Amino acid sequence: MLRTETLSCRLGRSLILGDVSARFAAGRFTALVGANGSGKSTLLRCLMGIVAPETGQVLLDDRPVAGMRRRALARRMSYLPQANVCPDHMTVGELVELAGFGRTGLFGSVSGAERETFRHALQTVGLEGAERQRVSQLSGGQRQRAFIAMVLAQDTPLLLMDEPVNHLDLRYQYAVLDLVRSLVTDHGKTLIMVLHDLNLALAYADDVVLLKEGRVLAQGQAREVLDAPRVAEGFGIETRMREIEGRTVCLPRGARMVDLP
Amino acid sequence: MRYAKVSGAALLLLLVAALGNLGIGASPIPLPEVLRALFSFDLDSLDHYVVLSQRLPRALIAIYVGAVLAAGGAVMQGVTGNPLASPSTLGVSAGAMLGMLLSVFVLDAALPMQGFGALSGGFAGFALTLAVARLTGLGPDPRGLPLILSGALTGMLLAGLAGALLLTDPERRAEYLGWLAGNINHYYVDRLALFWPFGLVSFAVLMALARPLTLIGLGRERAETMGVATRPVMRLALSAVVLGASSATAICGPVGFVGLVVPHLVRPFTGAHLGRLLPVSAMAGAALLLLSDVLARRAFMPFTLHTGVLLELVGGICFGVLVYRLYLRVEARR
Repeated sequence: MLRTETLSCRLGRSLILGDVSARFAAGRFTALVGANGSGKSTLLRCLMGIVAPETGQVLLDDRPVAGMRRRALARRMSYLPQANVCPDHMTVGELVELAGFGRTGLFGSVSGAERETFRHALQTVGLEGAERQRVSQLSGGQRQRAFIAMVLAQDTPLLLMDEPVNHLDLRYQYAVLDLVRSLVTDHGKTLIMVLHDLNLALAYADDVVLLKEGRVLAQGQAREVLDAPRVAEGFGIETRMREIEGRTVCLPRGARMVDLP
Repeated sequence: MRYAKVSGAALLLLLVAALGNLGIGASPIPLPEVLRALFSFDLDSLDHYVVLSQRLPRALIAIYVGAVLAAGGAVMQGVTGNPLASPSTLGVSAGAMLGMLLSVFVLDAALPMQGFGALSGGFAGFALTLAVARLTGLGPDPRGLPLILSGALTGMLLAGLAGALLLTDPERRAEYLGWLAGNINHYYVDRLALFWPFGLVSFAVLMALARPLTLIGLGRERAETMGVATRPVMRLALSAVVLGASSATAICGPVGFVGLVVPHLVRPFTGAHLGRLLPVSAMAGAALLLLSDVLARRAFMPFTLHTGVLLELVGGICFGVLVYRLYLRVEARR
């Protein structure tokens, strides 16, 4: 299990996270939600150990992440950043193969089982057969799926993703979220994802951590945490929560929304 | 399979370029005679003497320098994410040149110590480029032109100092004037004999680090999450590049263009993975320098150009084209 203890983090002079104590249960999908600048991405980067907290600590199975070696950590946790950079001539196959570095290290060779993991990762995101295509020549949706395949090929029990469905059209938003949900439900993976869309969080996540100005406003089961008063406090907008076909849906109330006929 | 074909083609190109380099010169020597000179040397044959004592050392120097600089350029471009990065554009070659001259003109050092001077100068030149970039507000992104402008500034400053140093000793000036322009010459074979292990170590280190370095090309944070200790890997790799490039400069003076352009020529065929890009870049760099050497000797007969001068001319044009394609055209589209 991953958790933070009184975590504070400063980027430059700004305090981004203050006194964050959050728990991310194993085998569950936790969504990090909050307004822009609430510290979601920074919390994810702290969890991954790539941003050092000012105070407090991140614990993975009660061991401080800060003290773990990079490769050991890469075998436990994988991370999909919000913006992905890829050199011009890199192919999808090369990208996915690189994910095995945590297991093979400098001199280890890629085994048959590894190749099967890579093939399966590409198959899972629907890019099987695209190994030789250049990442730079893929469409936005395919490109994002290639990076998700890279994370899957790392084959870790814990996955951290920073807004992976941004810039994807509706079809791929749902395809990606269906996919990662199935990793949690069918394969027992633990998923922590920054999400902007509360309805996607309600539809897919088990748990939610709601952040406001770098502090945890609420955490727990998604349906319990995301009620109208908390959303109002966290985002500064009015919403209505409705049950539609047994599912909770958040309906934002903009001041100048167009009336239905 | 595709990579096997690409590396086979690069090896063939290298072989053809090497044989061409050995055969073509002021007096052309037919290929069978070149092969006989290599495999059954005849003491009484002038052609054999020319091949073994003059052209082979030149060819070996060209192979070493071309391979080391092209591999160095590929790694620098990969690690910084800057398509214009290379030992010659980031102050390494200029620093090594000044370090070498300081060891000769100020310390009157013997050859091994001159190598040490070049190495220290290479590190100092690279560090100065990074420091200038930082002072001029490069910020955290090394991908843009400011890093290259800092390298150009550093290069000009160090080249100016090297020129001033030459003026202090008119007698030795003539000896080093050609070296200063990048001169692939059989005179320098003793330097190659002394410094080649540095290139070998440099290349071995870079090959060993090829996978983590390729991951760093995806961004440092990303690489760390994939298990790469980025700081030590980058330090070790860049030190290896400086080691190799400085040794190349110590042998025949600063040679530009190869480290900058060869990775761009090779990448479309090998992809961006340094495990594949590095060996092919090294072979292509070696072949390019061999061919440039032939061209420098033959294109302007009866005059013979220094290979470095020819490469600076061609390199200047390529640099302009790369800046236009990778920066200016992109800016204009926005």
